Amino acid sequence: MTAKDPRSDKVLHQEKREFFEIGLDIEGRMRYGAWQIKEILDLTLPPIKTREERFLFTLPKDTKEAIIEVKTYYCIKGSKCDLIYSEKKEVTYPEL
Amino acid sequence: MLKSFRFLFLIFMFFWISFSSYADEKKLELPTGRLIDNFDEFVATFSSKKCMECHEDIYHEWEKSFHARSMVDSIKGIANFFTVGVPKEWQKELNKEEVLKCLDCHLPQVRYATERLALEIAELMIEAKKAKEAKDEARFKRAVAKLSKLNISCYACHNIVVHRAAPGWFGEPDPQTIYTANEDVEAEHPTEYTPTLKSAAFCAWCHGVYVASDGESTMCNTLSQSYYHGYISLGGRKTCQECHMYAKGRGHRFPGGHDLEIVKEGLDFQAEIKGFRYGVGKWIPAVNVEAFLTNRAGHRIPDG
Repeated sequence: MTAKDPRSDKVLHQEKREFFEIGLDIEGRMRYGAWQIKEILDLTLPPIKTREERFLFTLPKDTKEAIIEVKTYYCIKGSKCDLIYSEKKEVTYPEL
Repeated sequence: MLKSFRFLFLIFMFFWISFSSYADEKKLELPTGRLIDNFDEFVATFSSKKCMECHEDIYHEWEKSFHARSMVDSIKGIANFFTVGVPKEWQKELNKEEVLKCLDCHLPQVRYATERLALEIAELMIEAKKAKEAKDEARFKRAVAKLSKLNISCYACHNIVVHRAAPGWFGEPDPQTIYTANEDVEAEHPTEYTPTLKSAAFCAWCHGVYVASDGESTMCNTLSQSYYHGYISLGGRKTCQECHMYAKGRGHRFPGGHDLEIVKEGLDFQAEIKGFRYGVGKWIPAVNVEAFLTNRAGHRIPDG
């Protein structure tokens, strides 16, 4: 989720949520090898469930407008991520 | 008269020899139960190309699947097990029993390989990994060219692992029979209708926690536990095949996490965005975003 100043393209605020698994060996240490992993710390999206994520933040005091973009990426590997969904909205803050 | 007879006889002999040798080429040669020691013979015996002659469409679907790339797509992970896991961490000798801990799923035919050939195949995986690390393109290509001939072939699912979900109930598959999910089949080779091929349990044998004969478990990124405990237990009733095979004519392509169409199908997304001013009297520009991400798949995401 990114909030940007549409005039300068400057990032005003950024947050992300990641859903993945951490493989643990029998001593509880993070591992990558399939033969080493004996337990899973499951941080993935469970089947047939909706996950709600809330982002609540303030912007610099002089902000007049901002483009808020929420994107969902699917990463098959750490280096290869594809954009799956995107929602964008411009928010404005008229002079008080 | 005699000349004409001779001529006709020669023509008959020509066609008989031509067609009989053609028929021999097309004959499906299945394993006899003996172990194979030669790499090329091993490849030729289990090659899916033999099935292509009659099942061309299915062959071309399978060709695009990750089953067709089960070795070349897993070089790093498997070679690490052979070079680090077995010899360094477990302090054991690499042998066919250890090789099977990966290849029983990645190359089920390896059961028909001799100890020597199983190790030759393991060495090929190690060679490919080393060549890639050394950025030796020619060496890497040579290893991959051989490894790309090894995969989860038609015979693997339609014979070798077909009864793995319930070996006690079904017994050992007959090496000469092609097991099929279709009830009415007419084929040149013996066939047997096996509804198990349509069950999730059939896929889960490899797409789950693999437990080797010595009790050692292996967890790849294809776990089916969430299917049983997070989907079936909540009322989900689809099988793996219903989404990954039967839907949209996906067939033997079995698209999964590498296919954006099916990934998108498995996820739903909605976001509500609102700008407002926060802090009474301060009125600081603020934003509230509520994002809803729904996993519509029958298993956790990422995984499957």
